[in-house]
Amino acid sequence: MMQRVTILRNRRLLLVLIGVAGVLLGVWVTRSMFPAVPLGPQQTVYTRNPKIGIHTRLTDEVEEQKIKRSLEMVREMGAPWVVEYFPWAYIENEPGRYNWVHADQVVAHASRQGLTLIARLGFVPQWARPKETTPLYLDEGNFDDFARFAALFVERYRGKINYVILWNEPNLALEWGYAAPDAAKYTALLRTAYPLIKAVAPEVQVLAGALAPTLAPPGSEFGVDDLIFLQEMYDAGAADYFDVLAIHAYGWHFDPDSPPDPAVVNFRRAELLRAIMVKNGDAAKRAIITEGGWNDHPRWTRAVRPAQRIAYTLRAYELAQQEWPWLDALCLWVFRFPWDQNSYQDYFTFVRTDFEPKPIYTEVQRYARNLTP
Amino acid sequence: MVGLLWLLTAEQSASLLPFLRRDATWQAIQQRGVWRVGLDPSFPPFEMLDANGAPVGYDVDLAHAVAATWGVRAEIVAVGFDSLPDTLKTGKIDSIVSAYPYDERLTQDFRFSAPYFDAGLRIAVPIDSPIRALTDLTGRQVGVEWGSLGDMVGRRLQRNGMAMTLTPFETPDALIGALLDTRQVEAILLDAVSLRQAQGRGLSLRGVDAPLESVPYVIVMPQRAYALQEQVAASLQQLQARGELAKLEERWFGAQAIEEQTE
Repeated sequence: MMQRVTILRNRRLLLVLIGVAGVLLGVWVTRSMFPAVPLGPQQTVYTRNPKIGIHTRLTDEVEEQKIKRSLEMVREMGAPWVVEYFPWAYIENEPGRYNWVHADQVVAHASRQGLTLIARLGFVPQWARPKETTPLYLDEGNFDDFARFAALFVERYRGKINYVILWNEPNLALEWGYAAPDAAKYTALLRTAYPLIKAVAPEVQVLAGALAPTLAPPGSEFGVDDLIFLQEMYDAGAADYFDVLAIHAYGWHFDPDSPPDPAVVNFRRAELLRAIMVKNGDAAKRAIITEGGWNDHPRWTRAVRPAQRIAYTLRAYELAQQEWPWLDALCLWVFRFPWDQNSYQDYFTFVRTDFEPKPIYTEVQRYARNLTP
Repeated sequence: MVGLLWLLTAEQSASLLPFLRRDATWQAIQQRGVWRVGLDPSFPPFEMLDANGAPVGYDVDLAHAVAATWGVRAEIVAVGFDSLPDTLKTGKIDSIVSAYPYDERLTQDFRFSAPYFDAGLRIAVPIDSPIRALTDLTGRQVGVEWGSLGDMVGRRLQRNGMAMTLTPFETPDALIGALLDTRQVEAILLDAVSLRQAQGRGLSLRGVDAPLESVPYVIVMPQRAYALQEQVAASLQQLQARGELAKLEERWFGAQAIEEQTE
């Protein structure tokens, strides 16, 4: 009798477990078919200036709804281009094991908003670098790992991402893992990654450079002058291993029409980088500004007044459109942070962390979409 | 006992076990007779360098006044604004007194004093204006500095249904001129520092209503500096009661001819 009761109880327990498993499966299937945050209808960017772009910062934005809202607001501002960072370490935290969830969300929403997405790749997982190094350090022995990841990335997002930037500001020691910046070594990285990317997606445009504008003197422990570094890249044979030059063009406290000068960091320093491209027989190649702009922090020494920031930004977009035929897009830093940085960085943003538009957002939108005040 | 301590807050535990209340920062200040204060001397009139390169300003005087209430000396350490929190964390300074805005997100890392100055966004009007409160801006011409916090809040008020006309100006001086000289606008949205500086120059301006956005300046201390926080609070109260804070404001901003109206 006791044995019969136990069997019945076990059967009931089994049925309950099967029921629970069924419900969980149902939830999983339903969530797969109907995402928590609907992508919404396919959108188009309306703008009078097709070169307007912005660097978003969705890397650490964990809420999909906020990813979507950010990209919606970029479209509504009238910017067809976005740059976004996809850290290698976030996606391949263990060798060969991938977590694409966040990247998939960003790519899907950007695509649905009708935006052209430029993916910046970098940030080395622990397994691909020596201990006691920063995630911005990559040994030559691990170039193959990065190249394989980059190829896998472009293959996964083929048709949705046509531009990838390899690394960021390699002319700064900070961004080169506190090793001495080395144009030949960076070129070796390009030489390793470029053919693998082209093999899986020949149409994808590989961006290189993204050099920090700096006047670092020779021998500086902090970095190498970007004009010198770019020439050294060409000397090392980089021309064959990138399709588009990525440029960083910050104005600091100069207006966007201030003339280019090798001894000055200003917006039109971009023209000096372009001149180096031309000098090295790369005139047919395009360029994209993937970072830049002005800051209106009340205390930062490189900042301008808020009114100047707006005026300079509008002029810069216009200058890019009217006077720089070699430039495809001007993507300014930075649309929004997921949370306040509590530093001058907060004064580069176009919208606050709570999505309240700053006046600069509204003014760029007015310019881009021909809105009346 | 250990389990009980887990259930208590840090302050409650500390009150039960005096040795947990040990505040190394406060002890060090007393032992060396020096309060090491970090500030970025690039934000007049709160902190700047004089002709001899010495730091001067409201915050410098405030630090000396607070230190004097403890019978110690304030030593000013110049640090870049963005580096101040890290400098405090690493123990190279004991406190930050640098027109530093309160940030609730940093309360896990630092302790804060009560605000000693609110640099937030104010409505400013001529002294003879009938405008007494935010609601009085309905139907008015309101000036803002283009792109500023005032501009952002003004646009927000409009989106939320306030029927006022917003006119942008390129600089704070142009904004104040449009209010007082040309009377192009009837009120302006201006940060409290600029407002107070304008009042100090003798301009007939007054602030009305509470700040539209508050930006309270506070003294920042290490997270474990319980005793120092209490001492700073007591000193600020003492200076307030003695009228020293009002004198400091007058010294660095100029006399305030018009009584503020915040009700």
